[in-house]
Amino acid sequence: MTTPVRVYDSDQLRKPLVSVFRNLWQFRGLLRLLVTRDLTLRYKRSALGVWWTLLNPLLTMSVLWIVFSQVFRFEIPGVPFAVYLLSGILIITLFAQGVNSTGAAMVNNAGVLSKVYVPAEVFAFSSGVAAAANFAISLLPLFAIQLVTGVGVPWTALLIPLPLIMLLAFTIGVGLLVAAAAVYFYDVLDLTNVFLQLVSYLVPTFYPISMIPERFLPIIQINPLYSYLKVFRGFAYEGVFAPGWNFVVMIVSGVAMLVLGVWVFSRSWKNLVVLL
Amino acid sequence: MSEPLIQVENLGIAYRLSRNRAGTFKEFAIRAVKRQVTFEKLWAVRGVSFDVRPGEVFGVVGPNGAGKSSLMKAVARVLPPSEGRVVVRGTVAPMIELGAGFNPELSAQENIVLYGALLGRRPELMRERTHDILAWADLLEFADVPIRSFSTGMLARLGFAVATDVQPDVLVVDEVLSVGDEAFQVKSRARIRQLMDSGVSIVLVSHSLPLIEETADRAMWMDHGAPKMIGNPTDVVSAYREWSK
Repeated sequence: MTTPVRVYDSDQLRKPLVSVFRNLWQFRGLLRLLVTRDLTLRYKRSALGVWWTLLNPLLTMSVLWIVFSQVFRFEIPGVPFAVYLLSGILIITLFAQGVNSTGAAMVNNAGVLSKVYVPAEVFAFSSGVAAAANFAISLLPLFAIQLVTGVGVPWTALLIPLPLIMLLAFTIGVGLLVAAAAVYFYDVLDLTNVFLQLVSYLVPTFYPISMIPERFLPIIQINPLYSYLKVFRGFAYEGVFAPGWNFVVMIVSGVAMLVLGVWVFSRSWKNLVVLL
Repeated sequence: MSEPLIQVENLGIAYRLSRNRAGTFKEFAIRAVKRQVTFEKLWAVRGVSFDVRPGEVFGVVGPNGAGKSSLMKAVARVLPPSEGRVVVRGTVAPMIELGAGFNPELSAQENIVLYGALLGRRPELMRERTHDILAWADLLEFADVPIRSFSTGMLARLGFAVATDVQPDVLVVDEVLSVGDEAFQVKSRARIRQLMDSGVSIVLVSHSLPLIEETADRAMWMDHGAPKMIGNPTDVVSAYREWSK
């Protein structure tokens, strides 16, 4: 035979870590397809279609804006409340949506995974990437509000891909852990939802950080999401670099979480497919 | 002498879903505290060994629950072996359940690309092939229709057309030739025949004993996950018939 043949040998199954990324590369066509499907299909049977991607964060923001800015009279020094709020919502949404959909990827695609050979991580990663794409689209309404309120868009906005990619890594890492657990226990996804809700309250999305009493401050700051948010806000509208430790937390937690998630996922993969 | 395309050595596949599997994390936590977590193994396939050479058709017969489908999934690399080894040289077109992976909201055209990508083919390539695939499946006029409104026969045609569009080295067929109407059956048999003539190896599971006798070069009879007999299809089929009575 002259052409190189693809050989599948079950004895050489899965050298963890490397094989996951090799599979993603090999199935990159499918990955791209799944991401676009995710983005367009969600609103396929609705009148507004993809416009929902833009409207969704705006609607959430409007409600919270009325409650916290108009009713509770929260104020953030130096920035319109709407900008502060929306930037927080974007980060929290990416994390929550990404972890939820990555976590459900195995269970939701069980029908395919148990009939056709597709590396399961392709589904998991595509869900995370779709959440990140949603985030990128949602930057448009954020910038629009910044322009309208006179904040403007600083040049540092060009650096947003950095926190975005790190948050994506962190999100997929957490999501992969959830995905592996969700195959064993079906209530894991519900528990995850509760957990995500709690985490989102611990991050200053709608309240100023100055409201937190000194002794509780570490609880807020130890949360990696706090650092992502801080870096993102610095780039998106403040036009400054967040303190160095925020960058350190962001990069270390992002890389570590992704590696941990991929490792656990690829270790347990063999058992997972049988359980589906 | 060429190498076998498929080598199955002492294959075992175990499922761990027993009555003791805790469904929820809460239950599991409670049981873990009470020390009641046990895993029972259920062997769907055990001790199966065979080779399939290029161009050979290998038939598998047996009663329901004999482990035929699990075996097919192991060859199609969907299920990793719990013990033993599976080696497959070349590309595999799995026809275990046609159209597993179709999305009901997408059109026929979009599904062709998606299903092809699931089988590991490049989307650009699939887009080029879309017209031919639809033409073969007799579905040209439904190209833009979401397939949720398709009939079972239409879905089977579409799935078959995509799966056999690219010539694979190995075809894994699990009872799919019995779907569809007479015209489709004739058409799909002809295509399988054509693939066989061009040297594709086929592993064929079927309850249709005449089909096995007629097409297979060798056959295996499975029962309770273990091979009962491997050999000449006529002998295997008649022994299986005798046993079934």
